[in-house]
Amino acid sequence: MKLSKSALLLSGLCAVTGVHAAEAAAPAPVSTIPATPKATTATTAAKPPPATAAPAASEHAALPPPSSAAQKLYTAARADILQVRVLLKNGRTQSSVGSGFLIGTGDLVVTNYHVVSQFALDPDTYVGEWVDTSGQRGNVELLAVDVLHDLAVVRVNRHGTGFFKMPAAPSQLATLTQGQYLYSMGNPLDLGFAISEGSYNGIVTRSFYDQLMFTGPINSGMSGGPSVTSNGDVAGVNVSKRLDGELVSFLVPARYAQQLLNQVALQAKVPKDFKPVVTAQLLQHQEAMLVRLLDTPLSLKAMGPYRVPVRESEQMRCWGSSNVKADKPYTVDSTSCAMETAIFISGALQTGQVSMRHEFLRSNELGALRFGELASTSFRNESFGSYKSAHLTGPHCIEQFVKNKTLPLRAVMCVRAYRKFAGLYDFALLAASTDQPTMSLQSRIDARGVSYANGMRVTRTFLEALSRTSAEQP
Amino acid sequence: MRAPYYIETLAANGDILQRQRVDHLPIRIGRGYDNDFILDDAHTAASHAIVEADGEDGLLLRDLGSHNGVIHRGQRRPEVAMTGNTVVRLGHTRLRVRSADQPVAPELTDTTMHGWEGTRPAVAGLVMIGLSALLSNWLGDAEKFDPIAYLMIIAYALAGGLVWASMWAVANRLFGQVARFGRHLFIIGCGLAVMEVWEMGSTMLAYSLSLESLTRYGRHMYIVMIGVMIYYHLCTIKPRHARRFALISTVLAIIGSTMILLSNLQSSGRLADEPYMSVLYPPVLRVSPNHTPDAFFRQAQGLQAGADAERGKGGGDEEAEDDSEE
Repeated sequence: MKLSKSALLLSGLCAVTGVHAAEAAAPAPVSTIPATPKATTATTAAKPPPATAAPAASEHAALPPPSSAAQKLYTAARADILQVRVLLKNGRTQSSVGSGFLIGTGDLVVTNYHVVSQFALDPDTYVGEWVDTSGQRGNVELLAVDVLHDLAVVRVNRHGTGFFKMPAAPSQLATLTQGQYLYSMGNPLDLGFAISEGSYNGIVTRSFYDQLMFTGPINSGMSGGPSVTSNGDVAGVNVSKRLDGELVSFLVPARYAQQLLNQVALQAKVPKDFKPVVTAQLLQHQEAMLVRLLDTPLSLKAMGPYRVPVRESEQMRCWGSSNVKADKPYTVDSTSCAMETAIFISGALQTGQVSMRHEFLRSNELGALRFGELASTSFRNESFGSYKSAHLTGPHCIEQFVKNKTLPLRAVMCVRAYRKFAGLYDFALLAASTDQPTMSLQSRIDARGVSYANGMRVTRTFLEALSRTSAEQP
Repeated sequence: MRAPYYIETLAANGDILQRQRVDHLPIRIGRGYDNDFILDDAHTAASHAIVEADGEDGLLLRDLGSHNGVIHRGQRRPEVAMTGNTVVRLGHTRLRVRSADQPVAPELTDTTMHGWEGTRPAVAGLVMIGLSALLSNWLGDAEKFDPIAYLMIIAYALAGGLVWASMWAVANRLFGQVARFGRHLFIIGCGLAVMEVWEMGSTMLAYSLSLESLTRYGRHMYIVMIGVMIYYHLCTIKPRHARRFALISTVLAIIGSTMILLSNLQSSGRLADEPYMSVLYPPVLRVSPNHTPDAFFRQAQGLQAGADAERGKGGGDEEAEDDSEE
């Protein structure tokens, strides 16, 4: 899956996402988190080891002070950036770490949802803690989450100095131009607070919700930290990076943090349990996603005599492959379309995503009987997920011979319910054409994290859009 | 009771090891050479026991003061009345005494096909093994034609069949005097051929009539076939215990099926072998009708209740954090 290539910048949780990406990607420096703080040998990926960093600070006095923007910014912002840690309640050992920043002179801290997801969903097992640059620490209280944009607001028991300002209206936010410098702050890999410099490169529309592309080094543990302009205006919140690229990182635009802060200001009381909040946001997301997916009819692509529905858009990319050169007595073409990003819920659950896949299998050499065996083998190995999952129920399936307007099909549909989020389901529909002895179209659509009605709607649209042309193609 | 008398020593399973005719009573039994029936058993006395008429047209076996005694039904007895079916143990020797008027069971009908032994069934078995391997490989072969692949498959199948038949032949030689290797080879050949026919036939039938349970629980049929094969192997060794062997085979098949069900339940949470029927065959084989999308999605609507019910039960393994579909 494409989405696994981008890693959330949360140490610890990165271990989960990073595993999948490792094949394509650079050495993801996730190994530091389970290690003790003193184990510097494990951090091969971290260029400046702490040993060399410490003398650098003491040499400052001797050298002429370099008046770099980064140095000024860091000095000014130092008091207001925090490390946000998730601790196990029992034993208070850290489970994952990220960053955050104090807004204005208040006690509110903006961070990423994925930094606090563990104690948002499982407050009985986890608690949060903040640590500032001077080593002080205290408890955090979760006030609001925005899982769609991956943001959270927490309250801490100290106040900011007013460096990071968040104006009340979106028009007052800093306007960004491509190429301008941004400075990203946080605590990479739990090594210590850091600032890194990079450039702003526009809005990325590949993810369902806008993100800013930041061409600069940000690392695990910097999640939730601020990215600011050289004037100190907040541009965005560090969120993720691509593991298969160099310095391709992403920020959540500041206006979403602003919206969430405004919402916190209006909020009468803090929700006790965030699961219903997350559920409501996911329901809202799937509604928007399905509207966007189905507002125009799915586009049809030709695969042999068949017409298959796909959706190609900024968020949904299609990739094709074929075995046409291979030395086999059959050919198989496949097209798969998937959204490149998903909504992060917890380390093992990412959802709010639709993907489609079509495989067109044909042979002139194999007879009908052997082709049947081949098609059966291809239709067989489809997984609908384990019944042992902590997040989803086992698959509940039906199967039937179905004929839509033009095409008779063998259809299998499986549904799984989310255990913690009532009203959300994963749908999977599998369909194989049954009209030709030596040709087989096998299609699958997966809609993850949708309401039952929307799941039914999208799978039905997909099933009914599968068709074949009346004129036989050579 | 009438002379002559026969002393028979028996193996534990009832087979006669030795039979000796004695023309008159009393019959002296022991290790010494002055006996009528000499025991080659170090655990018996030189003069161990004696068989006499009991005066009422019966026979009586009397202990002559041996150290190990005469054991009947697990208990030491000074004397035992010997009907034709009374078995006593002297030391390690089990024996019975029968007289000339002992009634015997009626003649059994011979059901063994004596002409179907040796080379002919062996060749037939090998041919069936080879053909079913060939067919199975040909059906599943979607690669470029490669003769060596077929030859290898046939070689492996034949070797496997020979090993299986050899094990049964050894058992046959041990318990039934003759090996009957050809017969055992024929049985495994038939078994594999029937399995191959069932595999094709059942999947086609399932596809044709939309009988999903045929493929979902298809593995149990193979267990049944293996059970039947074992039954025939056993009957080849001992043709006279058909009912006992049928029972053994049934018990084995039930154990096999139960293990399949339990392992399915453990690995996938359901009893069936697969979540859905995956066979796809040419459209000409189809008999069952197509349904409308309306009907299909009406049925799909019904899944919600089941999924919600499972959700309500909680469950789920917190340890299994990594969702396998990732």
